[in-house]
Amino acid sequence: MEHLELFFKAIFIDNMVFATFLGMCSYLAVSKKVSTAVGLGVAVIFVMAITVPLNWLLDTYILKDGALAWLGPEYAVYDLSFLSFIMFIATIATMVQLVEIIVEKFSPSLYNSLGIFLPLIAVNCAILGGSLFMQSREIQTVGLALNYGISSGIGWFLAILAIAAIREKIRYSNVPAPLRGLGITFIITGLMAIGFMSFGGMLTGGEEEVAKETETVQIEAVKEAIDIANNEKEIHE
Amino acid sequence: MARNTESNLYTILFTTGMVVIVGALLAFLASSLKGKITENKRIEKQQNILYAMGVNENDETSVKFVSKDKVASEFSTYITKQLIITGTDVVEDDMAYLIDLKKETAAAKNENYQRRLPLFMGMKDNIQYYIIPVRGKGLWDAIWGYVAVDNQLVVQGVFFDHAGETPGLGSNIKERFFMDDFKGEHFLDGDLFKGISVSKGNSDPKNLDKTDFEVDAIAGSTITGDGLAAMLRKDLKMYLPYLKTLKQ
Amino acid sequence: MGLLSKKDLKLITDPLADNNPITIQVLGICSALAITAELKASIVMSVAVLFVMGLGNLTISLMRNIIPSKIRIIAQLIVVATLVIIVDLVLKAFAYELSKTLSVFVGLIITNCIIMGRFEAFALANGPLRSFIDGIGNALGYALILIIVGFFRELLGSGSLLGFKVLGDSIEKTGVYAYGYENNGFMLLAPMALITVGIIIWVQRSRNEALIEDN
Repeated sequence: MEHLELFFKAIFIDNMVFATFLGMCSYLAVSKKVSTAVGLGVAVIFVMAITVPLNWLLDTYILKDGALAWLGPEYAVYDLSFLSFIMFIATIATMVQLVEIIVEKFSPSLYNSLGIFLPLIAVNCAILGGSLFMQSREIQTVGLALNYGISSGIGWFLAILAIAAIREKIRYSNVPAPLRGLGITFIITGLMAIGFMSFGGMLTGGEEEVAKETETVQIEAVKEAIDIANNEKEIHE
Repeated sequence: MARNTESNLYTILFTTGMVVIVGALLAFLASSLKGKITENKRIEKQQNILYAMGVNENDETSVKFVSKDKVASEFSTYITKQLIITGTDVVEDDMAYLIDLKKETAAAKNENYQRRLPLFMGMKDNIQYYIIPVRGKGLWDAIWGYVAVDNQLVVQGVFFDHAGETPGLGSNIKERFFMDDFKGEHFLDGDLFKGISVSKGNSDPKNLDKTDFEVDAIAGSTITGDGLAAMLRKDLKMYLPYLKTLKQ
Repeated sequence: MGLLSKKDLKLITDPLADNNPITIQVLGICSALAITAELKASIVMSVAVLFVMGLGNLTISLMRNIIPSKIRIIAQLIVVATLVIIVDLVLKAFAYELSKTLSVFVGLIITNCIIMGRFEAFALANGPLRSFIDGIGNALGYALILIIVGFFRELLGSGSLLGFKVLGDSIEKTGVYAYGYENNGFMLLAPMALITVGIIIWVQRSRNEALIEDN
């Protein structure tokens, strides 16, 4: 359930492109044709699926405050979180180039369709954004991190696929000349983002219901605690 | 250039060299500046706590803290007691304001851990303030703050801050127009805990009704506002058992 | 301008209009959308990018002959990230107030593809002085768009500029609000930033027909 919720949330509600506006540069630059958009989208899913869990491990076992405790209690005082940006970026750039080398070696056909996009991905801020969100949202397990990486990637893929399809169609429309190309793409993306905002209500409604239930339970608990506290006070007095 | 910059050996040497230089540089800077940074953070905490109870140099519209050189003496003047509440156990500790809420929250996930709750008591113009630190999540990153209440548990002042909310939208939680709205708000309905929600309904934009358990939201920052309300609900509730003993 | 040749000067003027990094090169869009709800944030971000671009381009240009092309992307990313982290740490120690204002932008600067884009396109192939000028020029072009977008979004969205309520008080109903004007809260949301940039592109390209794309 937790996995399913995170999955849908990352694709629709927190969509990388339409909700957080990350990865815009390559989204706008490489969306002229559906086929290239699909290539880039797949590459993004792939790289995010690798880098988010990897960075999760890095964050949990090396970078977080006290994360080095597994080396022994004397290491627990170290806080390397100031390195997280640079470590995340290094991981991403290394992974992108590793993937490029491996794919080139073992599957030239896949490399031909994917390869040219790989260097583009290293500078795609959606990838780093994914890792940073993973960190700030305190995702609990490596499984959830993998899930988050894949689903954010899928969200980005859907977005670029949609805009590429629209751009292929819009070529036959009578757009004012100065707006053609980039201008109209900006405006369409804005409109699509407004559309995606409607997903925002999708999972929040349920949360409120749950919150109310726990509230009453907790108020009971609080009342009990007050009684205990009062009794203690009397004893002290 | 005679050097072959494309050979594997050179690439590896270059990478190693770069990692060593960058690593050493950053580690050196981080450790040599650590003292100063911690000191700055400590001063900031004191300024924030004082701000919440109304000790500040505010002018008409902007937020102005007590100045850096005065903060230590003002802090010891106005903050009369610092408490650490652990379950039903209450001890006094002058270093309570240095407790890291982030670490406490993380440690509290372990069920055996009894969470320490810091509480600051301040006295200004013969009014007793209880200042409660709160911490939660906004849209992008952590948000935190301090809520000052009087002995009737009515909010007398707040201070909020954030690590990375959207500039111009969510980041406005640390602006006067938002924080001032909290003054006089109630979060208890009789004995019932209501919290304070950040509401978009806008039925009371001038915030005249202080017992509606809501303040006016900031346009364009729904998630930050919801996170802030959740933070207040969650953290104020933890203090309730203790706070309610004050009211009686 | 005795110091700069005509060619060098073009490096500054080009990105301001005909080769603007945002509207023509499609670089640095994410941050242009994220932070332009307020004019002040746009200005702060512009200054920070100006600084990082100038220094970063200079550093990369100095290193251009020793960076192996296989790992140049990693090297570039590390240079930006290191620069930004150093600035952040130093500010935290010596100018804490300023660092509080800037801390929000640190992540946005590192992920800003305008910086990587210029490293890749210019600094790797040109000398230090020219690279430095190119960095400044592009940062200024970026700043120009950011400030235009920030100006309109803050004015129409919150009725203020740099925090001053230039249109009167919307709650007390003074100024233009007395005549029934209302703020358009929609302007503060990110989709409207996209549409605003789209309109800027429209205006720019209708003034300079050479920039119009085929489809």
